[in-house]
Amino acid sequence: MSSYLLKRLLTMGVTLIGVSLLVFFMIHLVPGNPVTYILGDFATVESIKELESRLGLDLPIITQYWTYMLNAVQGDLGTSYITGYTVVEEILNRIPITAQLALYSVTFGSIIGILMGIIAAVKQNTVYDQLAMLIALVGISAPGFWIALFLILLFSYQLGIFPISGYSGFYSLILPSITLGLGTAGTIARMTRSSMLDVIKQDYIRTAQAKGASLYRLIFQHSLQNALIPVVTVIGMQFGYLMAGAVVTETVFALPGLGSLVVSAISTRDIPTVQGLLLFMASMIILANLVVDLLYTKLDPRIRFD
Amino acid sequence: MKRTFTLLFLTMIVFALILSGCGGKKAKKGNREIIVAAISEPDSVDVHRTSSMGDANSALYDPLMKYDDNGNIVGNLVKEYTVSPDGKEVTFELKEVVEFHSGKPVNAEAVKKSFERLMESSPFKTNAGDISKIEVVSEYVFKITWNEPFAPFFTNATSDYLSPIDVSVLDSNGEGFEKNPSATGALKLKEIKRGDSLVYEPSDKYDWGKEGPGFDKVTYRFIPDEETRILEFKKGNVDVLGSVPYQYIEELEKEDGVTIVRVPNYVLSYLGWNNKKPIFQDVRVRQAIAMAIDRDAIISNTFRGEAKPVFGPLPPATFGYSEKIEEMARSKYAKDLDKAKQLLSEAGWKDKNKDGIVMKDGKPFKVDLWVDDDPANQRAAQIIQNQLKEIGIDLSISVKESATIIEQTPKGAHDMLLWGFGWLDADVLNFLLFGEGKSTRLHYEVEEIYSLLEKGALEMDQEKRLKLYEDAQKLLVEQSPWVPLYVKENITAIRNFEEFEIHPRRNLIMWENVKVAK
Repeated sequence: MSSYLLKRLLTMGVTLIGVSLLVFFMIHLVPGNPVTYILGDFATVESIKELESRLGLDLPIITQYWTYMLNAVQGDLGTSYITGYTVVEEILNRIPITAQLALYSVTFGSIIGILMGIIAAVKQNTVYDQLAMLIALVGISAPGFWIALFLILLFSYQLGIFPISGYSGFYSLILPSITLGLGTAGTIARMTRSSMLDVIKQDYIRTAQAKGASLYRLIFQHSLQNALIPVVTVIGMQFGYLMAGAVVTETVFALPGLGSLVVSAISTRDIPTVQGLLLFMASMIILANLVVDLLYTKLDPRIRFD
Repeated sequence: MKRTFTLLFLTMIVFALILSGCGGKKAKKGNREIIVAAISEPDSVDVHRTSSMGDANSALYDPLMKYDDNGNIVGNLVKEYTVSPDGKEVTFELKEVVEFHSGKPVNAEAVKKSFERLMESSPFKTNAGDISKIEVVSEYVFKITWNEPFAPFFTNATSDYLSPIDVSVLDSNGEGFEKNPSATGALKLKEIKRGDSLVYEPSDKYDWGKEGPGFDKVTYRFIPDEETRILEFKKGNVDVLGSVPYQYIEELEKEDGVTIVRVPNYVLSYLGWNNKKPIFQDVRVRQAIAMAIDRDAIISNTFRGEAKPVFGPLPPATFGYSEKIEEMARSKYAKDLDKAKQLLSEAGWKDKNKDGIVMKDGKPFKVDLWVDDDPANQRAAQIIQNQLKEIGIDLSISVKESATIIEQTPKGAHDMLLWGFGWLDADVLNFLLFGEGKSTRLHYEVEEIYSLLEKGALEMDQEKRLKLYEDAQKLLVEQSPWVPLYVKENITAIRNFEEFEIHPRRNLIMWENVKVAK
């Protein structure tokens, strides 16, 4: 197990180096640079050169990358060209909101999705199955901004139950979490349904049924555990993606999370912030993958990494 | 298995609740609190670092000079000033009663240090001119010496970019102003919630007059989504809604207690092109394009009438604007399709194969227009596309990010662009558009115009200066190296105010003239 973990962590390091290389060179290839953005209409040939020199952008690109990575491994992701805040500060400022949003929406999505999946599987080809799959389809295919605006109009504007926008603690994250969680719920419901259908058709379930096991026992003790492996993969991946920030939902609900930060950093060509954020986001997705893989051993004792 | 899941679920919930505690509760809006909804957060509240100043960060600052009610530039933090005979030295005497938010006096030494930081680090330092020396003459008197006279200084000093900051709050690296700003503006920063809001309170060091400030607190909330901003305002959670989208004006006007405040923007939108491209070398082609444009059609279809057409090179808010020039340009370039087609034909552009597109030397008149991702500008671009098609020009539209346009157009990568500029002084023509080695997006380098603009920057006599800019503008109108289009109205929706005013030139809320309704 420990050698497996070590191997995975090493792979993670290599992946992150690959991501950093890709991001660093891609952002330099995109038209538009931070110096002309900052100086805007007031740029002169001299002022461009001066600012490039101050920001270290006049150095060869390989030197810039090397310096960046040397600092990054020491935990210094640089300072934003635009705001003057360090990238670590910016991430730490925003991570509580993004993390909460990811947790709430994945929790909401998992509970609703697994329940809908179970109902659809157990009541296969009935109206319950069709209704559950219809809801799942709407959850997956309805655009996030549309769901967000619908929820805001109904629960915030008309009924006044939740705040329309902004962050003010748990209460203000309920609607954004539902917005994001509906998509997750849809995916999980479909996954749970098909996985459950595979399991409940197996002989040992029929045997348990013949021995008089209750429906509750059949579902939650005999079927669900074995049906959950692909579902856990989806949950883990969704969590990883959501930790990377949900751009549309954060924008509509005016939440100061990582998603809105990365959008503004890209539009201003704030290289250190974009680079730092993308590295952080890649780490989150890789870590979520790792946690999912480790959870497999808990779900199915036959799976061993050593 | 069941235990593992229960444990995992409980851990997630506990973790989530711990995190939710990090945010705290939003305080209930007080009676005299003003909540302003803004589209985006300023990149920095530090005037020497930010790439643009707007309502949310400029209230911290108070400029050295200001416009009086008659449009004359007079002292603001400055009591009086004298200009040396050669125009290279100006001695400023500061008012003695002004203090920074920190309580430190705004004296000659403090202003000198602020200028030194500006010259060292501000992207906008060119607004101060080519300063060679700043000297402290006495406690409240300082002298600036330029390598050459710099006439635009006084207009530029009415902006916040040259406002003094309190450098005593900076750390040893000259940083830290973002977290603990101190300047001389009407508002003092109380709290920064990055990405969410900026909270201000009225500065007790500011001269509010006899009655004092008309409010206790100002919160700028940053709400990027248009629909959400409107709903927050309609629900009554926001008192001031800036940059109201034109399609919502009518709806908001019907809301109880809502007033719509209109102030002309100082930014002039224009249709420009790369004058170095062979296709634009002939003045008749440039004039034909100008004559094909119907500004009123763009304004009514794109901005619901909330903009004013401009024909001359400068918008009305800019020093150097001339009614005479505006009238001259208007009479020359009022929409005239027949004349435009005739000019194109004289320049050799004719519709030989009758496909509606003019040709010359076997090549069709086909150009690309760059426009940013603002939906209103894109609509305007489509109307321009149709208008130019009427004279046989085939215009394609490319939507680009602003950062790309800013970087690529000085390199001449574009054919045409729909863009804008805004500054308070006519020197903007030299700086933004036609100056040598500057960030010109028009690539129009004509010695005669450049020389007049250069002289304008050096001339300290205002009358003579205005005459120089008038001469330059006459040439620009004649040569038509671009098409000035319109100045949009800044639309602000407000509610619950006894008094509320927006500066007509600077487009900023005048906090000394704001009073919350009882």
